Amino acid sequence: MASTETPDGHTESEALASLGRYAGPATLMLSSLADGPKHGYALTKDIEQFAGVHVAPGTMYEALARLERQGLIEPLESVDRRRPYRLTAEGALALRAHLHAQRQVAEVGLRRLDSTPGLA
Amino acid sequence: MIDPAEAASRRAERLVRCYPRAWRVRYGEEFTQFLADDIAERPHSVTRTADVLRSGTLARVTYAGLAGDALEPQQQMRAGLGVVGLSASAFLAAGVAIWSQLAIGWQWSSPATTATKVGMLMMSGAILAFVLAAVLAALPLAWVTLRELVSGDRRRLVLPLIAVSVGTFVLVTGSIHFGQHGWPGTRGHPWSGRGLVPGSVARFAWAATLSITSYWAHPGRLASFPAAEIAWMLLSPLALAAAVIGAATTFRRLPLEPRVLRFESWLGLTAAIVMVGFLTGASSWVISNGPDPHSLFRVGLIDFLGVTVMAAALTLAYRAAHRTLGASRRHTPTT
Repeated sequence: MASTETPDGHTESEALASLGRYAGPATLMLSSLADGPKHGYALTKDIEQFAGVHVAPGTMYEALARLERQGLIEPLESVDRRRPYRLTAEGALALRAHLHAQRQVAEVGLRRLDSTPGLA
Repeated sequence: MIDPAEAASRRAERLVRCYPRAWRVRYGEEFTQFLADDIAERPHSVTRTADVLRSGTLARVTYAGLAGDALEPQQQMRAGLGVVGLSASAFLAAGVAIWSQLAIGWQWSSPATTATKVGMLMMSGAILAFVLAAVLAALPLAWVTLRELVSGDRRRLVLPLIAVSVGTFVLVTGSIHFGQHGWPGTRGHPWSGRGLVPGSVARFAWAATLSITSYWAHPGRLASFPAAEIAWMLLSPLALAAAVIGAATTFRRLPLEPRVLRFESWLGLTAAIVMVGFLTGASSWVISNGPDPHSLFRVGLIDFLGVTVMAAALTLAYRAAHRTLGASRRHTPTT
């Protein structure tokens, strides 16, 4: 599969990893936006529901600004002072690549745990 | 009774003030609403307040050009140069206070220790280099300012230029006046003493930094000062602040071409290097601890404080200058 680049020059598989300590919240946010646009508060509620994690407002907007700068999400028109964001095509590619890599790690880890005597 | 939604909105607005204005222009409204929704659901959350304070502080550091990559190269250069200018001003205020004390001492007699002599020579050389760098930095800015006043948007520049003019006028005339009427130097012909620098320069520097003194910690002794001198000690820092803030605002509002910003960036780094020379000289004197407790060259607690302020200002200026040059390289089109 040909690799595309985000506006700041990262390939799709590097895009989320390049966010450093924001990679965790960014993955949760992109996953939340995968089923449609959401504003900040709706994002936190959705993430709480599917991941059991509360992303604090300041941290949320730091990650959100980085994702926007990388072109992985884009803002829509504000409704009632609440601005929704949606996943871009680059964002969808980056999220898919990142989740595939995470799944691979999870599968290897689980397989090894299952095959190790005393840990299975 | 206040409506809970209204109260949540007010608290959210207060919290959003932690962020810099440029950030608030882009995200302020939506973030305020987000916070108001969160506050309405969880009225009391120390974690949320701490997170917003941390994030707001980080945004301020970022928008000052000292961290992160949120700014465009041109914004980064402007913000960084602003920090270099403000840091250099703080450095000079603390540094000139020390230097003028030694310059006055040298009017009476040559320093007894080599460390003090070498330190004083280094500081004096650094001040000359500072003056040269400041003139070079001011020339293109003065030209652009003049051009804007003649044919550009002069309304945005009027207030900050008034602040620069009034602040500088008060500082210069006041320093000349108090230098002539109160200084502890030889009072003789400017070149008559054994001083390293002309007496007129030493007394001007002494009067301009009269407010930087340990007498503030000794109100009883301060009360014995003439009322006019105490008034000057209160007024001069305000005049300096007006001049520096006015200059920084003027700089921010000038339409500057990338090549001017690049030139200023190099001068910013030069200023940081000059600061290293000055700080080394001042530290050499402070560490040597002066010749005897009653000499004009003796080191006091205020001097340790001054060196600490200079070290902090130098750290900020170097970081800002380094990042400004980095942004300048990113901004240069490659062929």
